[in-house]
Amino acid sequence: MTVSAQHKISLRWGRRRLHREEEAAPATHRWRVTPWLFLLPALVVIVVLVLLPFLNTLRLAFTDSTLLRSGEFTGWENFRRMFADERFGTALLNSTLYTVCVVPLMVALPLVLASLLAGTGRLMGLFRTTMYLPVIMSPVVVGLIWTNMLDKRGLVNELLATLKAVAEPVPFLTDRWLLLFSAMFVTVWMGLGYYMVIYLAALANIDPSLYDAAAMDGAGPVRTFLNVTVPGVRSTMGLIGVLSSVAAFRVFGEIYVLTNGTGGVGGGDITMTMLIQREGTGLQARTGYAGAISLVMFVILGGLLIAQLVLQRKQRTS
Amino acid sequence: MTTAGRRGRALIAGLALGSLLLSGCGGDTTPQAAGGSLSGTIKFQTWNLKNEKFTPYFNELIAAFEKENPGTKITWVDQPAEGYQDKLSADAAAGALPDVVDMGPEAAYTLAQAGVLLDVAKADPQAKGLYLDKAWQAMTFSGLGGGTYGYPWYLNTGPSFFNKALFEKCGLDPDKLPATYDELFDQAETMAKNCSDAYMIARMPAIENFGEYGVPLMDAAGKKFTYNDPKGVEFVERFKKLYASKGLTEEALNNLQTKEVEEFKAGRLAYLSGSSYTLNDLKETAPDIYKSLGIGPRISTAAPNMYIESLVVNATSENQPLAMAFAKYVTNAANQLAFAKKASVFPSSAGSMDDEYFTKDDGDPATKVRLESAAQVKKAIVWWPPAFSGSADAETLREQIAQALLGKKTVQQALDESVKYSNERLAQHG
Repeated sequence: MTVSAQHKISLRWGRRRLHREEEAAPATHRWRVTPWLFLLPALVVIVVLVLLPFLNTLRLAFTDSTLLRSGEFTGWENFRRMFADERFGTALLNSTLYTVCVVPLMVALPLVLASLLAGTGRLMGLFRTTMYLPVIMSPVVVGLIWTNMLDKRGLVNELLATLKAVAEPVPFLTDRWLLLFSAMFVTVWMGLGYYMVIYLAALANIDPSLYDAAAMDGAGPVRTFLNVTVPGVRSTMGLIGVLSSVAAFRVFGEIYVLTNGTGGVGGGDITMTMLIQREGTGLQARTGYAGAISLVMFVILGGLLIAQLVLQRKQRTS
Repeated sequence: MTTAGRRGRALIAGLALGSLLLSGCGGDTTPQAAGGSLSGTIKFQTWNLKNEKFTPYFNELIAAFEKENPGTKITWVDQPAEGYQDKLSADAAAGALPDVVDMGPEAAYTLAQAGVLLDVAKADPQAKGLYLDKAWQAMTFSGLGGGTYGYPWYLNTGPSFFNKALFEKCGLDPDKLPATYDELFDQAETMAKNCSDAYMIARMPAIENFGEYGVPLMDAAGKKFTYNDPKGVEFVERFKKLYASKGLTEEALNNLQTKEVEEFKAGRLAYLSGSSYTLNDLKETAPDIYKSLGIGPRISTAAPNMYIESLVVNATSENQPLAMAFAKYVTNAANQLAFAKKASVFPSSAGSMDDEYFTKDDGDPATKVRLESAAQVKKAIVWWPPAFSGSADAETLREQIAQALLGKKTVQQALDESVKYSNERLAQHG
């Protein structure tokens, strides 16, 4: 028998064996079940803690359910009521504005900070740790610190008065827009360190030779940043854009603490999550109405995420 | 008589006897009707009362009850002050409400609406005579068919505290303290004219203040709120006028009670509506303010407000006779008096307010406050409608008034909006 004939037989034998193994039901069954067993713990968590509550919220949104009454199907009634509710308009505007203002800052500022603090010196490590400190602080503690700082008689107003920069104390915590911008400032201050760490990891992946090439071409720091650093971390910028959009639209803690849980003077600073909390908690919770607001919020956030993903994909292809 | 006739009579007699026996056994669930001997275990829940001050009292109370009723066991649990409503919500939703629970009429109203609480007037008709009528009425909900859903426990009201030094500084007579809302507003306007750094009022009115001003809060059936009537508008217009004349700060539009107390202690606020605890608190934490303290009756144009706490019985309790007996025991005259002395509150049991503890002056300022508050209890009313339940109603009222004061809408529009919101919530829970 020639080598070639032997090889053909061996191949045929191999194919037959493979075919027989494919036909062997128990083995196939085992191979199909095993991955699911690995997935099972995660699936249980997702189904019990995410999927079922979501489906329940979906159901509640179309009922007049309260905490102690399962309620009846009311169709679009909750949504009609929501769009006639002046608080919903205020909350939607505030949450949208929060997202529009906070997200660009959250994407850009930590990148600048990470670029400045990317060195390996001991002092750089200290700076990085300092910048990360607000991240590990409780939002309530941060809120209380800033409430005392921004109060009519707080440190900031005292400082401005000492410098004779203002004649009257600045109403950081009582003026609707000033309070909203103060809360945005607190959010950015708290988030800088977290996103900076993500950028630091991304910066480490940029090929150092690109910086050398830029230097040889005579590019200054700004040009190097725009032409080397930014393209190098573009996908991370997209990720941070997505993460910070979701967080900003769901803002709760900062405004809650700065307004002492009231939503500001006349409810002018209430946000979507605060409205859901007000309607959906307590003995008199209107779980149906709160569910409808949650659903609208979900649709908005879902739309926002899809839009960002589409945009990123387009950028990648171009 | 035929056999059939005898059988018929025997059947009728048997049915009649059976009916009598059945009505005797099942119709009445008073502890006495249950046979007089109580047994078993129940869970008793209080709100922020397990601490150095009150734990010995409750331990002794429970031990005494268990000794009087051998074979019974009371398991006492206490919930922290923060998030009590959330705890009640979670328990009620899970069907795990303890047998006897300490709560106010607002929470009781919502739970009674859901059929979770026992109508004690129906289950224990004799109980009514054991309590002050106004206290019993405060737990009787006309909006729910007139049932009484809790044994009244303690009452609380307090005087008004004034900073006399600020009165003098801002051109007011410290010997002429305001007693009605009109006097309060007039003096607040005078103060605003003379002082730019001191104020008379630091908070928006709450629903009970509307009642104190004489505003009708609900219709007779207890189904609709009515505080947007002309009297209510007149009341809020006084706040609007005061805000326009800089007698109210922008912070005041959003302040909660804690901030009001802080402002008073800091010497920037001239008037504070307090309770019997307040005097001691001011003495310990704001000694300078305490030195120039003026004390007067609670500001009211109609009748002063008081608050009530009750013990409710879970309608689904497996040991209802024991739960009722224990709730009644805690709220009986002797135990209420002992608790009132310990907690600086007032008993809701009939006759307890005649005790010399509430009538005899010994010259001590604390006794004076207690005596004046006790006298006030006699004319006070629990103004807060139990159906005005949950913080959402109160927050909406405060926000709407703030918007009216800021000029974003008229007072009438603001109150209409608030009433509409509260009525909508009430109807949805009904």
